[in-house]
Amino acid sequence: MKNLTLFKSSLVALALAASTSLFAQSVAITNATVHTVTDEGILTNATIVMDNGVITAINPENVNADTVIDAKGQILTPGFISAMNQLGLVEVSAVSRSRDAGDKKADITFDPSIAFNPNSTVIPFSRSGGITSSIVVPNGGDDMFKGQAFIADLSGKPDSIVKKGSAVLIDLGSQSKGSRVLNLQKLRVELEDAKSMSKKDSKDKEPKRDAKIINALLAGELPLIAHADRATDLLELINIKKDFGINVVLAGAADAVRIAPQLADANIPVIVNAISNLPSSFDSLNVSLDNAGLLQKAGVKVLLTISGGTHNMYQLRFDTGVAVANGLPKNEALAAITANIADVFSLDAGRIAIGKKADVVLWSADPFELSSRVEHMWINGEEVNMRTRQDALRDRYTAQSDMPRAYTK
Amino acid sequence: MNKYLPSILVTAISVALTGCLQTDAQDEKVLINKNPYPSAYKVLPSQMTLIKNAIVLTGTGERLDNADLLMENGKIVKVGENLSSSDAIEVDANGKWVTPGIIDVHSHLGVYPSPSVESHSDGNEATQPNTSEVWAEHSVWPQDPGFQAARAGGITTLQILPGSANLFGGRGVTLRNVPSHTMQGMKFPDAPYGLKMACGENPKRVYGGKKVSPATRMGNMAGYRMAWAEATEYKRAWDKYEADYANGLNAEAPTRDIELDTLKGVLDGEIKVHNHCYKAEEMAMMIDLGKEFNYHSGTFHHAVEGYKIADLLAENGNCAAMWPDWWGFKMEAYDMVPENVAIVDAVKNSCAIVHSDSDTTIQRLNQEAGKVMYRANDNGFDIKPEHAIKWITSNAAKSLGLENTTGSLEVGKRADVVIWNQNPFSVYAQAEQVFVDGAKVYDRHDEKYQAKSDFMLGQK
Repeated sequence: MKNLTLFKSSLVALALAASTSLFAQSVAITNATVHTVTDEGILTNATIVMDNGVITAINPENVNADTVIDAKGQILTPGFISAMNQLGLVEVSAVSRSRDAGDKKADITFDPSIAFNPNSTVIPFSRSGGITSSIVVPNGGDDMFKGQAFIADLSGKPDSIVKKGSAVLIDLGSQSKGSRVLNLQKLRVELEDAKSMSKKDSKDKEPKRDAKIINALLAGELPLIAHADRATDLLELINIKKDFGINVVLAGAADAVRIAPQLADANIPVIVNAISNLPSSFDSLNVSLDNAGLLQKAGVKVLLTISGGTHNMYQLRFDTGVAVANGLPKNEALAAITANIADVFSLDAGRIAIGKKADVVLWSADPFELSSRVEHMWINGEEVNMRTRQDALRDRYTAQSDMPRAYTK
Repeated sequence: MNKYLPSILVTAISVALTGCLQTDAQDEKVLINKNPYPSAYKVLPSQMTLIKNAIVLTGTGERLDNADLLMENGKIVKVGENLSSSDAIEVDANGKWVTPGIIDVHSHLGVYPSPSVESHSDGNEATQPNTSEVWAEHSVWPQDPGFQAARAGGITTLQILPGSANLFGGRGVTLRNVPSHTMQGMKFPDAPYGLKMACGENPKRVYGGKKVSPATRMGNMAGYRMAWAEATEYKRAWDKYEADYANGLNAEAPTRDIELDTLKGVLDGEIKVHNHCYKAEEMAMMIDLGKEFNYHSGTFHHAVEGYKIADLLAENGNCAAMWPDWWGFKMEAYDMVPENVAIVDAVKNSCAIVHSDSDTTIQRLNQEAGKVMYRANDNGFDIKPEHAIKWITSNAAKSLGLENTTGSLEVGKRADVVIWNQNPFSVYAQAEQVFVDGAKVYDRHDEKYQAKSDFMLGQK
């Protein structure tokens, strides 16, 4: 059943990709060191072909494409997928009229994808970090449900939204007022109520929009991303998964290392802030740079994300390097920012394999290293311009001119 | 102004009455103790240590391959090839890199510690726009686990600053990054104090929001100018008292004002200005403000638009302490360029610094500097590691007034040293051993040298 769902979604992705790249030219990249993030591992002197937005061939007998690019041995990876940010929803954090990620009244139905701004200057800057798509999440409001995540690519095009309603976000754990108890109870009660409602079979009555979303959670179709840190909260989420069959994904999860075997048994993935290692609260006394590696070794599916703000999500690859320096194997680290994220959010990307979305990046060297840079990037099989607003400012202020800088454009 | 006016009047009257009567007995001279919370720092137990066969970045712009470094009695004794000493412990650093201890000029460790509970949120006395009277050292919680994390990243010296809500946020303090259960036990002996000032959005937002001045950038400038004018009068009163007393007069001392003591310290050249300031046009005005009131405008912190006025900064002897890439959180941080530090650095007589302002990136200031170096080199610069290391060592020491004691591996300087497992400008680099004044304070492979805060002790 699960395989069937995946298959279906990949067909949809194929169709979508095809519709957005009708006039795309086919591209072949030859002589690349391809990190496939599949069982094929790393292919050297490899060729990949992209057409109609997807990868159509790997090492074909004859290279047949409109454009052929010699990678000269450089590293080709799937485009990185950034998670848990507000890309396209915030231009300047302290400028209220440039923010759309939250609202006091936001609840489980809050779907910020409608506000995604593909022209945000944060998008090109994030591309400089090799990021080709993003799991964007709302900040939400007073409700424990912060709203719905969506997936966007970083093409900067009007049709950047890949998938709306790709997860529901919930914030659990310690509270500045009151107790953590109420939210944990409320989550269980809402799931129980929705379950009993569906048993009563209300055929003649269309469920309300929020009930539909809870039903999708119960059906296991929609992941529930739960922000929580302390082991007690994480264990209750394991129980909730067992009791209701919902698809729980943990975010933050400082204490995850203390219950790693249980999480692995329950097949619950964890989104780890790679460089978070200071106990910001009594819930997070177990944060450590070693956590990503320890969880992975314990058999937990690890997804990495940045711990800073959206504007610097380009830093994802460096944070991933820090995780490697602290024990996460390199291939697992790459999966943690590509295939693992794609799997958890049912995005048909994150691997270099036939039929996958053609989001790929050619690197000057080791993509996690400070010294490397993106040489070329393709999103939906189309090459993306890498120039940023930051480049324009730098060029203006380093150019030689007798005239005021404002004339240098 | 009226705070000390009466005392000036009293002094004036008493001078007029007594004239130059040398026969009058002088009252005991009023002296101000400028160091009432003195350093109690003691060097940790140490042994003479010889580091062998390392790639050494000296912090003065030099790179020495296959070099040795000898530390004794807390000082650097020799740097060169084929050193030997029968008395020293040898550390084989073949394939490893050695740099001066890393210096962060902008930290809030201890004043905004982990855990970030309200009880320990002591970094910003945001109750009025001028709080020159507060001293960050009085807020430092030495048990902040962040100090240990920073030490594991090679940080040996750091300046703890008050926050940036106020035009004048108070005094900063420079610490040795050694574990201690008192602030004084960490305090860098004889380091000058800093005065935190702040430009731009923060003061006007915090006070404008309370319908108190400043509510605008012109309000910010007015606030600084009024304070400096008052401080100038205060200094004049004390200088006159000193001169009269020296001339044998039984002069009356001005009334002590703790707030103005700090500003006077700047006017006397004893306290260094550390100015949170992002924008080119504001930094240009802050430089002129210093000239108007006859003090040096010091180091600009954050300076996101430093690259727009690189010439001006160098001409006026201002250091600029910057991030490689933080941006977008405020309007005044919108015009970031990743080459900012390199552009500021490229001018003759510049003083470019990479700072953290973060309990996270302070742990990897080497990587923060590395990002700048590589991005700049991608875009036409040719910056070598031996140069980039200055941004987090010797230039930072200069900003703190410590260039004669730390920040480089020169003979006679404090033996603040980091041994890295590889090129410190790699993402995989880790500090293996860290020395403060020749004493090992951290060893990645020896738990004995991994300190733990009281707070983390006995926790699960």
